[in-house]
Amino acid sequence: MAKLLIVDDESDIREFARNFFRKRQIEVFVASGGRQALDIIAKENPDLILLDVRMEEMTGIEVLRELRKNSPSVKVIMVSGVEDEETIKEANTLGVIGYIHKPFILEELEKIVLAQLNN
Amino acid sequence: MTPTKIDYKRELESASKGMILIHDPRLLIKLIVRSLVQKVHIQHAGMVLYDPDKDSYVLSISRGEIGERIPEGLIRFNKTNPLIKLFIQKEYKYIFENRHAIVAEDINKLLWKESVISNGNGIKQLLHNVSEQLPKLNAVACVPAYHHHMLMAILLLGEKRDGSRFGQEELNFFSALASDVAMAIRNAQLFEDLKREAERNRNLFIQTTIALGSAIEAKDTYTHGHTERVTKYALAIGRQMEASKTYNFPYKFFENLYIAGLLHDIGKIGVPETILSKKDKLTAEEYEIMKSHTNRGAEILSSLTGFEEVINGVKYHHERYDGKGYPVGLKGEDIPMIASIIAVADTFDAMTTDRPYRKGFSKEKAISEIKEYINKQFNHKPVDALVELFHKGDL
Repeated sequence: MAKLLIVDDESDIREFARNFFRKRQIEVFVASGGRQALDIIAKENPDLILLDVRMEEMTGIEVLRELRKNSPSVKVIMVSGVEDEETIKEANTLGVIGYIHKPFILEELEKIVLAQLNN
Repeated sequence: MTPTKIDYKRELESASKGMILIHDPRLLIKLIVRSLVQKVHIQHAGMVLYDPDKDSYVLSISRGEIGERIPEGLIRFNKTNPLIKLFIQKEYKYIFENRHAIVAEDINKLLWKESVISNGNGIKQLLHNVSEQLPKLNAVACVPAYHHHMLMAILLLGEKRDGSRFGQEELNFFSALASDVAMAIRNAQLFEDLKREAERNRNLFIQTTIALGSAIEAKDTYTHGHTERVTKYALAIGRQMEASKTYNFPYKFFENLYIAGLLHDIGKIGVPETILSKKDKLTAEEYEIMKSHTNRGAEILSSLTGFEEVINGVKYHHERYDGKGYPVGLKGEDIPMIASIIAVADTFDAMTTDRPYRKGFSKEKAISEIKEYINKQFNHKPVDALVELFHKGDL
């Protein structure tokens, strides 16, 4: 089964996304912050990561920088409520496959995630 | 445990009362959705609201247990979403007949209806997509909320805790609730639009007033920045009087004071430049013309409705407390307070700014001079306020 990691510091978002993708035959892991995310990545080697940009402990970009040291090729999609040029630029240089803005269309998220996991 | 029977009529009444009492529709909808979850015992209730700025719909409110509720503001729907499509496109209206809600269990039955079968695949596919959409939103039923045929919101209803179906009475109740909600949202939007419009008009009015005020300065070169400073001093004096409770100002006084400050010399537009910028002493005749700027100002503004207080400020700002001023010779407290305040502000600025033929006084000197003229030229209340402002370092 394909492995998906969801990193978000809002528990409602984690729970909703976990339920949503579980029903689609995906093994879902969730992390509430950067440290936990990095642990799970090291242990589980997920196929795709949905990474929230704005988080308390470490920002999404900080997590991305950190994880690129050991996992240069893991697929990452950034999820954000604000459109910040700087962040998008840096995310691109750190190699993300996409950038999803909240509020998003559920089917689009679903399509992107399923397409990436089936590749 | 059987849930207590709900008096839907009463619930609806209390919701309507809420619409009157609560002006923020989001707060109201939050309360409604929460009470639905509690009173109707459903696992999840949510509200999809139209966002006019994005011209799309956002799942804005969601209540229920963790795992059931959906993070607010996370999911957006555009007009190709099957639910939205079903509710906004007129050609699908016939599906609902007298119903106002779509219930997941009924969709299969709908698919076998004569009208649906004869309508080709489009509607079948749409209904199929709707039935796939509902579980994603943790809903088994949804109720559209329209205002004048405009889809304002969709109420999402999760499963009931006891597993029972939604009855017709319940669905009717939700539908009535939804249309109340739509109205509340629409009213709030209209109110916002009106407020914005009023704000725009007000800004335009203020800007026009400022432009008009600066027209005088273009003519009267001595007084560069005078209008702006007098207005600033007058407002400060008024605020100080209010703070020290020496005077009870009527409604909208400060707005009028602001306008009157900007326009107090507007009548100088009718005074020849040769008189306005004369360096030597004015002749008696010239002085009479100069004095006429108070009446001229009042005349210029006389056709504007609601300007009575502003006109008082413009017309009487050269009256004196002892009755020796102009244009009328009003005395003491007969002089409107707005004019008495402008008189002090006007004199203070005239004394403290440089003129071609003399250097301006220091603020301290000007104030001690003005204090000398309490009850002669000035009402003591605005002078006291000016003195207080000076001591506080606010001038």
